[in-house]
Amino acid sequence: MGTGTIVGVIFALVTYYVLRHHYSSPWRHNHGMDLTNTHFENVTLICSMFAWSLGFLVGIGAFIGPFRWLIGKDLTDEENLYLAGDGQGISRYFRYCTDHKVVGIQYLVGVMILLGSGGTMAMMIRTNLATPGSHFVTPIVYNSLVGLHGITMIIGLIIALTGPFGNFIMPIMIGAADMAFPRLNALSWWVLFTAIPVLSSAWFLGGIPTGWTAYAPLSTQAGPGMDAFLVTIIIFAVSTAVAGANITTTVVAMRAKGMSWNRVPIFVIGSTISVALAVPAFPTFMAAMVQTGLDRTLTTGFYNAQQGGSGWLYANLFWIMGHPEVYVILIPGVAALMEIAPVFVRKPLFSFGAAIAGFAGIAGLSVLVWAHHMYMAGWMPSLNGPFMITTEFISVPTGLLFLVVIGTLWRGKPWLKMPMLCVYAMLWNLLIGGITGIFLSDVPADNYLHGSMFVTAHFHYTLMGAALTGAIGGLAYWFPKMTGRMLNEPASYASFWFIQIGFQVLFLGMFMAGAEGQPRRVADYAQVFAHSDLVSTVGAYSVGLGFIILLWAVIHSWRSGKVAPMNPWGAKTLEWTVPYPVPLVNFDEAPVVKSDPYGYGRKVE
Amino acid sequence: MDDHEELAPTPGQRAGKFLKQKDIIQTIALGLFFTAVFVVLGLWFYPKWMPEAMSKEMVGDEGILKWFTVISAPIAGIVLAISAESFMNRRKGNEPATEDGAGIKTHGPVVLIWSAVSGLFCVLAIVWGIVEMNTWTSDALTNAPHALVVDVTGSQWAWSFEYPSLGVTSHDLYLPVGVPVQFNVVSADVNHSFWPVQLGVKVDANRLETTVVRTTPDKLGHFDVKCAELCGLYHAYMETNGEVVTQANFNNWIATAKANGGTES
Repeated sequence: MGTGTIVGVIFALVTYYVLRHHYSSPWRHNHGMDLTNTHFENVTLICSMFAWSLGFLVGIGAFIGPFRWLIGKDLTDEENLYLAGDGQGISRYFRYCTDHKVVGIQYLVGVMILLGSGGTMAMMIRTNLATPGSHFVTPIVYNSLVGLHGITMIIGLIIALTGPFGNFIMPIMIGAADMAFPRLNALSWWVLFTAIPVLSSAWFLGGIPTGWTAYAPLSTQAGPGMDAFLVTIIIFAVSTAVAGANITTTVVAMRAKGMSWNRVPIFVIGSTISVALAVPAFPTFMAAMVQTGLDRTLTTGFYNAQQGGSGWLYANLFWIMGHPEVYVILIPGVAALMEIAPVFVRKPLFSFGAAIAGFAGIAGLSVLVWAHHMYMAGWMPSLNGPFMITTEFISVPTGLLFLVVIGTLWRGKPWLKMPMLCVYAMLWNLLIGGITGIFLSDVPADNYLHGSMFVTAHFHYTLMGAALTGAIGGLAYWFPKMTGRMLNEPASYASFWFIQIGFQVLFLGMFMAGAEGQPRRVADYAQVFAHSDLVSTVGAYSVGLGFIILLWAVIHSWRSGKVAPMNPWGAKTLEWTVPYPVPLVNFDEAPVVKSDPYGYGRKVE
Repeated sequence: MDDHEELAPTPGQRAGKFLKQKDIIQTIALGLFFTAVFVVLGLWFYPKWMPEAMSKEMVGDEGILKWFTVISAPIAGIVLAISAESFMNRRKGNEPATEDGAGIKTHGPVVLIWSAVSGLFCVLAIVWGIVEMNTWTSDALTNAPHALVVDVTGSQWAWSFEYPSLGVTSHDLYLPVGVPVQFNVVSADVNHSFWPVQLGVKVDANRLETTVVRTTPDKLGHFDVKCAELCGLYHAYMETNGEVVTQANFNNWIATAKANGGTES
């Protein structure tokens, strides 16, 4: 990591220096293009940021394997063992390590850092909105907070489950010795890692004042912080493509003997559908960002109406990614809780087939609904009807997910540990998020609600209330296997109630503000919204306190928590059959699966 | 469910026996309770928090929010009742249970009925939306010939309104009551979204592309005009006053504006 950082910084500085001092004048004067200093500044910054990313990967040794192939050799077994971090203790977490368990922990820490900084920004946003008048920050800082909070949380949530648990737990769950492509696995994490400093640099480059949607032409107008944003997205798209291909291949090709598709744990199925959905979704975002970059550097005008372009092109590309993306986030969260519920209720998962139909139905429909974000854009009003139909139909597979969970709970005696509490919280939150989604997708109602705080409250209920709650449930559930220790119980219960009760208060206030007619993404608001916004801010502080307690619980338990038994929850999936620390190749003997993972329950007639 | 009687019970007897169990009675009671909560919530929340409707469109928006909440109440009731019942039946202790619950792997009819019912609700939502949209469109077409045209321009960070047939430009939006109005919306720079809040309609302002939205204000009084699309630094302050006035007052306002050289702010 140290070498990577040094080489990355050197690459970036050299690129910056060379472009700045040796290429600026011929570029500007000889190519006959109408480029200003601003355009050239954007070129320099974008190239330097990519150079950082590339340099870091070179420095950390990501290209050693491919380079060996290039000269006709391959890595020796010893070198592969070294790359897998065999016997290297804590230092392997800071290296280019191909062990999927190390990558899982790296992702876990990365997710916590991303969500922690996104959450801190949320606290600042809510503090500013506590009273009318924008007293806490200026509008320019506020707009940047909104943009950075959005994109940080989106990236954090996309990897919140498939990153840590998809890498650490999932291969063990299916009885594999490692991922299909261990080096790509390490690459996906470290590529993503290089995006974090790039994104953070936006703070020093004028922020991201466009919101995470980065609509053109606002994005063309924005300062160099926008360059950091678009480079982040391009890097992130590479990372998700690599991770998605890897996870999908692993699940398809590396399952243990006897694990037919009807015996694959639901979390594995959910994660696979999620990453497989991300593979086609993110390239459009990447393309949208490449074009934004070209508009900002070479004045191409893809999105500039005066040059014959159109902002609607951007909006379409963005939402073709944007709508599948919310399900990329939601599906693994719900799937993790479906994994948890049978264990704690001691009943089989109700209707495994309905669960798969639900996930697959959502994934399939989700690529056909993007323009419901554009009902009010004026782009193509005649398509509002068709998009309303596809969108409303998502409620049917979503309904199946509810049926699966309540069917599992039906007449059971649940063991209410922290992971199980999250199942209940998800049901309530997804219910509110789902029902309000039905309102928003109805075109006439969206005439009133579009662009209001009501929308903000709705998608926080689904993404935070359901998906993030799923990630917290997953963390509490798999924490013993990942760290060898139990998550501190009193602290995690306290955090649960502070978060969940605060969450209801926070977003009830926001639903009220939205119904009253407060637009979203505003630094300031009229007196009539004061009560609703104050309610929201009070709730937000409770959520913030809850997360601080959770963070303390995680750190404290990781260092000195109660040592966990091999199978603390009495679960039947394969990850609970391996000891802690999990051996390098996971299983001493390749496991053979003889029954389905939810074989609980006494016989009924 | 797993009783062994000498004679096979009729479906009626089985249902009767099923419904007499304590946890089933509790679940049904909880279901009715949660349904009632959501019905009350729907009927109370939107009229209480949404501003007064000043057009048919706004009445339609509010109606959808209110009645969709009421319609979805039974589904919410079922989900919450089963969750709450199982939550109350929780098991104490610090060790995983040794005894399992009923091994119900699936139940065909339940899955089928659940899917069918949620499909029906979904179709209802779609039909409701389409009927509402059609009403708006056919109203707009009928009214188009005698509509008052207002050209709306959004720019960072102000709205301006031009009445081309009357030769007046203004930063406030005055509308005569009961007269259909057609807004032609365009942006001078980045995307904005034209939102006359109490009129219940909205459309984005795009650069060099005119978008159209129509309504008929039917109540006298003040309404807010806001921007609903993040448009840069002072997005939060991009709002102005709207007034629905009588035709006579509107004519007076126009006359004053003309006397001032065609602009009024």
